[in-house]
Amino acid sequence: MPSSLSTDHVSTLYRFCAQSMQYPEPNWFTAQYLTSLSTLLETLGGKNEVRLLQKTFDASLDPIEDLQVEHTRLFINGVPHVAAPPYASVYLEKTLKGKYSEEVLLFYQSHGYTMTENADLPDSLIHQLEFLSFVAEDQNRSAEEEFLKRFFLPWFSTFSARVTKEAQHPFYQIIISIIEFFTKEEEEYGVQLNEA
Amino acid sequence: MAFNLTRRKFLQSASLAAVALPLSEVIASESGIQRSPLETPGSFQDKTVVGGICEMCFWRCQLTGKTRNDRLVKIEGNPKSIDNGTAICARGNAGIQLLYDPDRLKYPLKNVGERGNPKWKRISWDEALKECGTKLKEVEEKYGPQGISVFPHGSTAKYPMHFFERAVGTHNVSEASFFQCRGIRDTAYVATTGMPPGEFVDMPNSKAILLIGSHLGENVHVSHIKRYIKGLQNGAKLIVVDPRYSASAAKSDIWVKIKPGTDTAFLLAIMNYLITEKKYDQDFVEEYGYGFDELAAGIKEWSFEKAAKECDVPAAQIKEVADLLAESAPGVSIHPGRHVSWYGNDFQRQRSLACLTGLLGAYFVKGGWVPGKNPKVGGVSWAKKEHEGEHNLNVDEDDEYLHPFSPPGTPTELIRDAALTGKPYPIKGCVIWGQNPIQTIPGQEKMKDVLRQMDFVMCVDVMPTDATMWADILLPEVSYLERYDYIKTGTQWNFADKQQQYISARMPLVKPMFERKDQVYITNEIARLMGYEKDIPVQTVEEMVEKNLEVAGLTLEQLRKEDGIHIREGKNPYQMPEDFEVMFYNEDIEDAGFPGIPTYVTVEQPPKGFLRLLYGRVPVHTFNRSQNNIWLNKAMPDNPVWLNDALAAKMGLKDGDVVGFVNQDGFKSRTTTTVKTTPGIRTDGVYMAHGYGSSNPLMSVGVDAGVDDTSLMTKITVDPETGAHGMRNNFVKITKDGKVIEIPASA
Repeated sequence: MPSSLSTDHVSTLYRFCAQSMQYPEPNWFTAQYLTSLSTLLETLGGKNEVRLLQKTFDASLDPIEDLQVEHTRLFINGVPHVAAPPYASVYLEKTLKGKYSEEVLLFYQSHGYTMTENADLPDSLIHQLEFLSFVAEDQNRSAEEEFLKRFFLPWFSTFSARVTKEAQHPFYQIIISIIEFFTKEEEEYGVQLNEA
Repeated sequence: MAFNLTRRKFLQSASLAAVALPLSEVIASESGIQRSPLETPGSFQDKTVVGGICEMCFWRCQLTGKTRNDRLVKIEGNPKSIDNGTAICARGNAGIQLLYDPDRLKYPLKNVGERGNPKWKRISWDEALKECGTKLKEVEEKYGPQGISVFPHGSTAKYPMHFFERAVGTHNVSEASFFQCRGIRDTAYVATTGMPPGEFVDMPNSKAILLIGSHLGENVHVSHIKRYIKGLQNGAKLIVVDPRYSASAAKSDIWVKIKPGTDTAFLLAIMNYLITEKKYDQDFVEEYGYGFDELAAGIKEWSFEKAAKECDVPAAQIKEVADLLAESAPGVSIHPGRHVSWYGNDFQRQRSLACLTGLLGAYFVKGGWVPGKNPKVGGVSWAKKEHEGEHNLNVDEDDEYLHPFSPPGTPTELIRDAALTGKPYPIKGCVIWGQNPIQTIPGQEKMKDVLRQMDFVMCVDVMPTDATMWADILLPEVSYLERYDYIKTGTQWNFADKQQQYISARMPLVKPMFERKDQVYITNEIARLMGYEKDIPVQTVEEMVEKNLEVAGLTLEQLRKEDGIHIREGKNPYQMPEDFEVMFYNEDIEDAGFPGIPTYVTVEQPPKGFLRLLYGRVPVHTFNRSQNNIWLNKAMPDNPVWLNDALAAKMGLKDGDVVGFVNQDGFKSRTTTTVKTTPGIRTDGVYMAHGYGSSNPLMSVGVDAGVDDTSLMTKITVDPETGAHGMRNNFVKITKDGKVIEIPASA
């Protein structure tokens, strides 16, 4: 059974996933980051993914720029068009900043959180993962479970399918798989309570 | 991609701590979420925000926004407005979809691929602006300021346009609103009455309204339509001259199904009749006219019969129109039109309209052409510096103007030719700001070649239009719902009501999202990098608006207190200016080598087997500005081609058939549309709505929806007096399943 220490680790995992979805910049997309990612993947049994990433980065003249182009194309503006905007409202209401984004903000606020001044939209994948990391850190498992069921899972699978289909670089397919790994099972089994 | 253990097992495993620790070391400390006091679960309250001014089209209706938290949930007409009132059109309502369109530009982008086939990478504003400033400075230093060309459009483009024109010193600025739209109208009326005409006809109080090609109803501007409908309700007779049975023709008392390109002949015959039968306003002409005798003598040949033959309409119908206008004068609204760059003989047609208004004595009278007396506000912008005039492409070696009645700026074709030939000098820098020169200017391949040869291309826009695919740096601009800039002034829409004036300034209804910036910020930063810091006129767009309001004794705060619109007492709109004059004959035009009186110039007719390509508007789209709007796209997803029903039957085509086009130069449409058969169009032309068929896949709604009419305009015609384009001189054949459907010889 997960201990309170393990819930801190869960919080870290959510934050790591959120970090991985940020626009790739040299200040965080470092050799240390890649080592940490490889360790995580190897622990999950993803040796092939580690090899694939390594091979892709080794073949590139400018790995960060390649990733920036991929991030822009997938999540900001891209050809043929922005493939997978990382905002829930787009999948649930076909628009940015739909009613969903208002509801998700209200949920954050009712659990003691709000957006910072320079934050992205409340329904962004990154902020949803950050929120999950905070409630995991608070050991507020009912909030974590409710959030996943009510807000996260209803759109993430559509988003994830689009990324998987459209991605031309393995990095985002792998990150999305990791996010899926840490969120999907909750749907089946619920958040494990600390019975200790 | 699947992992070979479950989350539960992973969380229970001893390796979790070993993995989590290094992960925690690479996580940035900042987050978009922060702790805050607990809020009781509930909902956000609705709030009304005032100060919005629409820009889904140029008419700019006054708005209020309903917001919930910081989300705009509804747009409405401002109840205080004496212009559009509480009404806004479908496009105005759909502004929310533009605001929150997932395809909208969000961050500065750098093209690390090639122009036309871009590979975008998000970059910081610092990097983007540095690149723009440095590259444009390089062009300026290497080729001179004239090496920079600017293609601006819309209210945000004025400030940057003035920077490049007035501070940097390039003449090579070409506004689509002038050279592909209304510039001809404005300069023709200025050459006749000294004033650009706007759409200032007092239709509510008119006895007869004449529309040449204007299809009001399909072309919707709220207070414009209110004037028109009020006029019809009050009993005005409506004459519509159009090759197509437009929405206006459907309301008309007389529909003149004219042969395209012959409108001037029609107008000359009417004027000749009014003069010879002494049915014109002799007192008005005596007092305000100049060159009447020259006009009378010069158009003598234009009998109804001659015009009837030229225009392919019955002579009796032309007489019927002339008599109706004469009986209704002076209270007649001779509408000046707006988009008038049609056939390359348009300056003369617009002069004819201005002269006909004069013969009817219909200036500054009830029901006639009445501009209204608007309040004054400021116009702060970049100061005009002294620049040498020798690099003006519109002036030849003998210091003569090539197109002496050009609207402000340089005719587009002169800029494109210089860029492609390098003569008389190279043009190697390009700033595209809110304009889509790929879809607005005839000769798409030529435009692409122009952009290909540039050293640097930057675009600023709200949406990823076709032109943005050709940028090296693409900057995201705030939309009209998120910014300050424009000050709209005017009067109550119906001059029969109490005389009032209004002043309203565009104020944001919501905050900008992502990293979108306004025109003053972007221009000033580029100006600093190019060494023009000392010339910067204002530091922020808000400061600019405050200074402009100050002239009227207002502030933004005051306007907010007054619900976004300041209303004051108005003036008599019918007061004729002291020096008003109608130049039936204009010596300056003749001295410049063109006819001094309105003159009909024939245009090429469709070659055998071809149909003239005509285009226009629909009420749910503003050309390509709205083509990606999902609500508007649902209302009209493509642009069916109008084809005469009898002709269609002979060609074996029926409603709903999917067709493409090939033009006189063998250019094939990239996409297809459907056929709409109708008796309401002549047999020598086809018609479709403009602004469809974007080729930019970044426009996920608008891409490939319908046919892009501009792509079929490969033959370029230029109106000689103005240098503006004629855009209805291309001819097409219809294709189906890739094969040309020939027009039978019997048709």
